[in-house]
Amino acid sequence: MALVREIYKEFEEIVGIGNISEEPVVLETYRCVAAQSSAHYGPYDQRTPTPQAVLLPGSTEEVQKIVLLCNKHGIHFKASTTFWSAQGYIGSDNAIQLDMRRMNKIEVDAKNQLAIIEPYAIAAAIQAETMKHGMTCNIQGAGGSTSTLASTAGWQGPGPSSIFTGTNYDNMLSAEWVLPNGEILRTGSAGSGDGWFCGEGPGPSLRAIVRGVAGTAGDMGVCTKLAIKLSPWPGPTYLPSTGAPPSYKADLYENFKYYTLCFPTWEAWAEAVRMIHENRIIYIGHRQFNMFGCDMKGAMVNILSDPNKQLCDLPDLLEDEEIKKQTESMRIDVQVVIAGMTMLDMDYKEKALDEVLRMVGGWKNEMMLKPDIANWALLYLIRMGRKNLNYVYCGAYEGHFGLSRGNYFYSASLVEEASAIKREWEIKHNHMAAVGGNSSMGGLGGVGGGGGVSWEFFAHFDAHDKESIKGVCEYFNKTNQWMAQKGLGGCMGKLNESSRRPDGYNRSQEEFNKTFASTPQPEVFVYQWMVKDAFNPKKLSGSYYKTLDPKAFVEGSGAASRGVFI
Amino acid sequence: MKEKTLADYKAMQERCCNCSYCKWIPLDKIKSNRFAYNCPANAYFKFNTYSARGRFQAGLAVANEELDYTEGMTQMVHSCLSCGACDVACKISRYNLEPLEHNIALKADVIEKGHTILAQKVMLNTLATEGTLIPNMKKADRAVWSEGLGFKDLAKEKAEVLFFPGCKYGYDKTLKETLRTTVSLLLNMEADLGVLGESEMCCGGRAWQMGFEKEFSKTADINISKIQKTGAKIIVTPCADCYHALKRLYAERGLTMEVLHVVEYIDRKVKEGRVTFTKPVNMTVTYHDPCHLGRQGAPFVPWNGTEKKIFNQIHTWEPRRPRNNGANGIYDAPRNILEAIPGIRLVEMERIREYSWCCGAGGGCGQSMPAYAEWVAGDRVAEAKSTATDALVTACPWCNGMLSKAVGKDGETMPVYDLLELVARAL
Ligand SMILES: Cc1cc2nc3c(=O)[nH]c(=O)nc-3n(C[C@H](O)[C@H](O)[C@@H](O)COP(=O)(O)OP(=O)(O)OC[C@H]3O[C@@H](n4cnc5c(N)ncnc54)[C@H](O)[C@@H]3O)c2cc1C
Ligand code: SF4
Ligand code: SF4
Repeated sequence: MALVREIYKEFEEIVGIGNISEEPVVLETYRCVAAQSSAHYGPYDQRTPTPQAVLLPGSTEEVQKIVLLCNKHGIHFKASTTFWSAQGYIGSDNAIQLDMRRMNKIEVDAKNQLAIIEPYAIAAAIQAETMKHGMTCNIQGAGGSTSTLASTAGWQGPGPSSIFTGTNYDNMLSAEWVLPNGEILRTGSAGSGDGWFCGEGPGPSLRAIVRGVAGTAGDMGVCTKLAIKLSPWPGPTYLPSTGAPPSYKADLYENFKYYTLCFPTWEAWAEAVRMIHENRIIYIGHRQFNMFGCDMKGAMVNILSDPNKQLCDLPDLLEDEEIKKQTESMRIDVQVVIAGMTMLDMDYKEKALDEVLRMVGGWKNEMMLKPDIANWALLYLIRMGRKNLNYVYCGAYEGHFGLSRGNYFYSASLVEEASAIKREWEIKHNHMAAVGGNSSMGGLGGVGGGGGVSWEFFAHFDAHDKESIKGVCEYFNKTNQWMAQKGLGGCMGKLNESSRRPDGYNRSQEEFNKTFASTPQPEVFVYQWMVKDAFNPKKLSGSYYKTLDPKAFVEGSGAASRGVFI
Repeated sequence: MKEKTLADYKAMQERCCNCSYCKWIPLDKIKSNRFAYNCPANAYFKFNTYSARGRFQAGLAVANEELDYTEGMTQMVHSCLSCGACDVACKISRYNLEPLEHNIALKADVIEKGHTILAQKVMLNTLATEGTLIPNMKKADRAVWSEGLGFKDLAKEKAEVLFFPGCKYGYDKTLKETLRTTVSLLLNMEADLGVLGESEMCCGGRAWQMGFEKEFSKTADINISKIQKTGAKIIVTPCADCYHALKRLYAERGLTMEVLHVVEYIDRKVKEGRVTFTKPVNMTVTYHDPCHLGRQGAPFVPWNGTEKKIFNQIHTWEPRRPRNNGANGIYDAPRNILEAIPGIRLVEMERIREYSWCCGAGGGCGQSMPAYAEWVAGDRVAEAKSTATDALVTACPWCNGMLSKAVGKDGETMPVYDLLELVARAL
């Protein structure tokens, strides 16, 4: 449905000609193809709805005017930046899409160890700018191409370095928002004109309201600017690399080391991770390369770090006795980077890591120590510049299981069982790549996380193959049931579905009422309804901010009041 | 040879994962926010639609008959400079997609369905009538630049080296002296040199970049037959576009001769000790890698295969498909020459080698969308100026032309040289 001409003109006057489009091809390219990059939605063989127009605002003032106009005419809106995942796309027919790409500034305040960033500043560029000042930022697990502001303000943002740098959510300082009703809000110190150094004051501390714990995925207005906390970078003023594409390698000093640590059992793995966490030994920690699958990772690392190899080399490499041995050696592993602020510090970290390995009977994988592979992995983990390797096999992947509810002792104890379920499906059906079952990957928790892991298993499927899409979707239904049985909450593959229906549209309030009335604490969602009502009275944004209409709430109806906890 | 149609790309269109890596230089290489972008079309027109990702998604909708070409869409399709920056960035992690090939297939489709830009029509008419894509140029004037140089005419006699100047060098009066000096240099290097003379015509590479496949094929086949008949062993060209057409596109159509860009030829001679630079050229310079010499300059490797899935869903090719990902382009030869000239110090820009930023001339956009092309060149000039060097050097007349046009726009000028000009000064 096209916008009424007068309204289109009004929008055009705000952003200027060239920064608004309703050209059919433009609208088409702002639809999410749910099988391609769903990131915890589906996968489904359909697209999200077509926006009425796509707007590219260039300033906070323009965003405010757009939002006020949307309020005046009752038009839904959604802001997104790099459009990595389904949650950033509009979910109704009466909606416009804001693409924030014109707002991309990065200002480093070296003295206060923070950076003030705009929406389209991507993590890799922020890291590059901050390295000039001897600092770095957290790069969330989705990698260097994502908007740091988007996951800080609108989502979560844990990543491999979060054990040292904190997650994006942790690092949020002052922020500037255009609320859904068009008001401008500056949270924390910026709200009282005292600079951007603090998220909680002096000034309004509405962080929990506008982003919450999980992030409201663009449903509580548009964040136009925010400050993030930076961390020390003990390297040069840029990230040096060598080698032919695609196998670039880091070219850093001796105070950076990459290792793949391996363990005899999951108990030993969990114990080692606990010690590493408590003793602050590592700079980056992630179980990363297992995303290629436990049978494949040795061969895949060889392919990716060698510019002359390709995926067609997989079968031969898998037959190579040495690679087989190395792959076997790192079935239960984790990738780490240690960085010494001084060489003395480096010496301590090396020794501490060795001591942890000695205590649990672990070892460093030999193949991953080869300079070509180690420097490739080092660059990969520092910049997270190749996170689209998630899609390397067949163009689509989806995370599932998501063993993130318990601490790592609990999650680790369930990995083999989950792996067996996946392996069985790989053998019985050809919907997903057969990589050995276990394709679990994830971080080692944030700085203050107390050891929570955020694991997911990868299912690699083909978005061009309808059977593959459908089959993987069925498989996720099964993994979802297993997660519930184990008391692990919802499966990661289904994360978006409480907000977005399988047809790509937003969930309605009626659907929310049905879902949330019987949760353990429906009062929480009623409270959120009141917040949304205050800030977003016309409900013009999406459905990622979950609410329960007070009218649908029955006192004592929550599962918790009935003594049931799911 | 069977040309592929848009429908042949459906699997790729559906397997593009919307990761957006095609909008940036390889993330590992980013040194600043200012020069992190790689796709000129996306940077200028801003909507995602203009990136390789957008083109895949648009192409899919066309293939599925969900979208008709409008004027806006036609402009979008033709705004791709065919620079290949997206291709390199995508292939950092993807082994089963060919974004550049698809961009050009989309152009061929829009042309097939009758939608072109007016300036393109003029260019193609001139190709048909005058054998060049540069409007207002005449066939009869083609060899004027070479008068008095004493070349062999390969239509009449044999020579080891066929010198192929290309349209830009051949017709552009401002480049005439550089070209003549170059040829004198080559002759001094004892090159046994000949030209096609009046029977020479455009290589057609630009037509291919614009998606005019039929016109390109016709031009290429005529040229190939003429070139083969000369019996020369090597073709040397000073133009990056001609180099790419001869080296890759003609090879695909059967040309078997060795093709060298003049910088490769000179680098070879320096290495063989046949050329020594004696006169110092005291300046700091920065070097712009032409897209069609750099990331698209790898030798052509034939492949005729099909998709093969292994381990259920892992997508590979059978037999092994050559990866044109910028790894084997011509980057070192020009840099070796700069290094060999006494007094020159090279300071690199941020976007170099396989992840270089286009000059704006690619895909014929210099002629068909001049304001956009000049903006693209301006961005490169800004990057060059950020190196605080004395001059910007390149190795392609089209790049030279675009960059020279853009260089003074901000009020501060910077000399732009073809590397050959510095070579001439140093000898
Ligand atoms: C392959 C893959 C791997 C992933 N891995 C991780 C991971 O390890 N850790 C993690 O935390 N997440 C992960 N995710 C999810 C990811 O965090 C989110 O997709 C998101 O934060 C990506 O950021 P983006 O820059 O692409 O933002 P977008 O997709 O553009 O937006 C993300 C969300 O933020 C909202 N938003 C964007 N801009 C604004 C704004 N200016 N104001 C308000 N809201 C805004 C959008 O509406 C959307 O809901 C992954 C996703 C994918 C596809
Ligand atoms: S073309 Fe390549 S880089 Fe671009 S979105 Fe698609 S897969 Fe990613
Ligand atoms: S070839 Fe160049 S201009 Fe065309 S889409 Fe790719 S990067 Fe953009």
